[in-house]
Amino acid sequence: MSSLCLQRLQEERKKWRKDHPFGFYAKPTKKADGSMNLQRWEAGIPGKEGTIWREGVYPITIEYPDDYPSKPPKVKFPAGFYHPNVYPSGTVCLSILNEDQDWRPAITLKQIVLGVQDLLDSPNPNSPAQEPAWRAFSKNVKEYERKVIDQAKKYVK
Amino acid sequence: MLSEHTIPSDYDDEGDEFIDFESYYSVEDTDLNGFKDDSDFDITSDMNSDDESGSRISFLISTQDSENLGKKSSLSGSEERGLPKLNYNCLTTDQIYKLMLQRMENLQPIFNIPLEDMIILLQRYGWSEERLLEQWTEDMEKVLVASGLRTAKHDKIKRGIKLHPNFMCHICCESGEKETFSLECAHEYCLDCYKHYIQDKLPDGKIITCMNCDLALRNEDIDKIMGDNSSAKLMLSSIKGFIQKHSNHYKWCPFVDCNYVIQVGNISSLSEFPRFHISPYVICDNKHKFCFQCGLESHAPGDCQVADVWVKTAQAESANLNWVLKNTKECPKCGVNIEKNGGCNHMTCKSCAYEFCWICEGCWKDHGGSYYECTRFKKEDKNDNVESKGSLRKYTFYYRLFSEHENSAKLDWNLGQTVEQKVRALQENVGISWIESQFLPESIRALIEGRTTLKWSFPVAFYSDPSHNLTKIFVDNQFLLVNAVEDLSQLLQIKEPKKIMEKKLDFYNKARFVKSRENALIECGRDLLCKGICIPQK
Repeated sequence: MSSLCLQRLQEERKKWRKDHPFGFYAKPTKKADGSMNLQRWEAGIPGKEGTIWREGVYPITIEYPDDYPSKPPKVKFPAGFYHPNVYPSGTVCLSILNEDQDWRPAITLKQIVLGVQDLLDSPNPNSPAQEPAWRAFSKNVKEYERKVIDQAKKYVK
Repeated sequence: MLSEHTIPSDYDDEGDEFIDFESYYSVEDTDLNGFKDDSDFDITSDMNSDDESGSRISFLISTQDSENLGKKSSLSGSEERGLPKLNYNCLTTDQIYKLMLQRMENLQPIFNIPLEDMIILLQRYGWSEERLLEQWTEDMEKVLVASGLRTAKHDKIKRGIKLHPNFMCHICCESGEKETFSLECAHEYCLDCYKHYIQDKLPDGKIITCMNCDLALRNEDIDKIMGDNSSAKLMLSSIKGFIQKHSNHYKWCPFVDCNYVIQVGNISSLSEFPRFHISPYVICDNKHKFCFQCGLESHAPGDCQVADVWVKTAQAESANLNWVLKNTKECPKCGVNIEKNGGCNHMTCKSCAYEFCWICEGCWKDHGGSYYECTRFKKEDKNDNVESKGSLRKYTFYYRLFSEHENSAKLDWNLGQTVEQKVRALQENVGISWIESQFLPESIRALIEGRTTLKWSFPVAFYSDPSHNLTKIFVDNQFLLVNAVEDLSQLLQIKEPKKIMEKKLDFYNKARFVKSRENALIECGRDLLCKGICIPQK
């Protein structure tokens, strides 16, 4: 791991502990030897109040590559997560997480998790990442909402 | 924050635009000369007048021009017969960029923004001024914001490098005395972080923005931060992207280490070539000749289809074939392929029980009793009558000839290097001028081109109906070209400068003979294709 990546991640952790948005959590994982793995984080995204996502806190993993912050981290929900812009593997398809699009080295952890929270209730039908959720979202809203609410129960706060 | 793909995607729009350099360069064109006097066309006339840098560009190499320049063209004399021809320029990426800059200067009055900002705009619109102009007239402010040329809030902060006694950079999270950079958006980060960031982005050829927002860095900012002219690299990458995107108008010369780009003006004529079974050959300024249609080297007398089918078959077949050629020998009697996996040289063919020596392929009876050594010379290959024995054998036969000539052509390339030394030796020892010694490199070029034509004549022969009279004529022509090429090749082995000068006329004649034999073979091959005697198929 480059020192730049490490230094920045330590600072990200410091900042997060000092201040983070309500209802969210984020912490680095532990390596097999018990030491902290700053390049792999676990975090929770609460669904926004007043949306069909409100019941749940959705777990994500955030993996920082060695050339972070030049390159964006990879954000994943559990595999099979039901959302039009989440790949079957769980990888999130979001412009600010795409190096060729809107990723900027200055984007912080806080911005990332807030971005993912935004995405939950405002999916982008123009860039589908999985078929079931996308089809339901664009063709059968009732079924889509039912599935989302069902899923929320699995990740209840 | 949006999910992917919601950002305006006009950058990715496929366009058919290309730069019409011709309008600036075809000085010979009488119509344009007429326009030049017309004040309505001041852009064009401006371009023509201050266009000294274009002197290196070989414009509009028509078949006639190339003949005048002593260049060879498979289309020679094609005009009279109404065959299509290609108009093209040979350019470097630098030249393309310079031409773009020149055009930008002409556009600038319309936009009334600094040239540096124009570069960013055109980068954003993939160097297509038509699309840029269209959007610009529609909504100027939107274009400026989308290209990162306007901040949302008009801050009074000046862009540039500053020195802070105590600065905490939010990218690397280091603090201390630091040089920093920021644009008008006031997102300020340390210079080291910016250097890393820019270095990473240079090969992408896209607009480089602030590390926090969409505001764009100008080329002058990039150079200031990097302390060199790194922006040139960015522009080069951008132009490369442009060429890749407009590959129907532009093609890189496919030869190793050649950086020339061929730009074709009249691509609509490309579709006419297949009908006549000829290919649109172009020659770059390094004298590399290649087919603009399929991107392969010159493959006359075959057309693109012959070349395509042949190459694909060769790829599919080559793994097998190479193994067979490398690891097996044919039984001298029945021709079955035999792999020797151990033991002595006394072989007994399993299929016909013929006993022979693995080394010399002679009959074991006449061989004496030495099992591990063979002192006899290898017999001549009996390839001549292979043709009729099955299709793989026929294919192998032609493939061998094809690759043999390919190898020879490669060796001739090397010979070309030594010719350069010979030329220098001629100039020093015999005291002749550069011009006078040009017959040597020209002969080598004739030799390589002859070999390449010969090489590609084998696929044509392979796909042709062997019983047809014209095929026989084609094979005879092949034979004549082989002789001509070998003659010339032999001549080029001479090392003494004096002898070379004595034989100057010989060089001329033999090279010319190769060329004329080559043209005859190409014409004959085209005949085979046009008359449907040669039908490439897998």
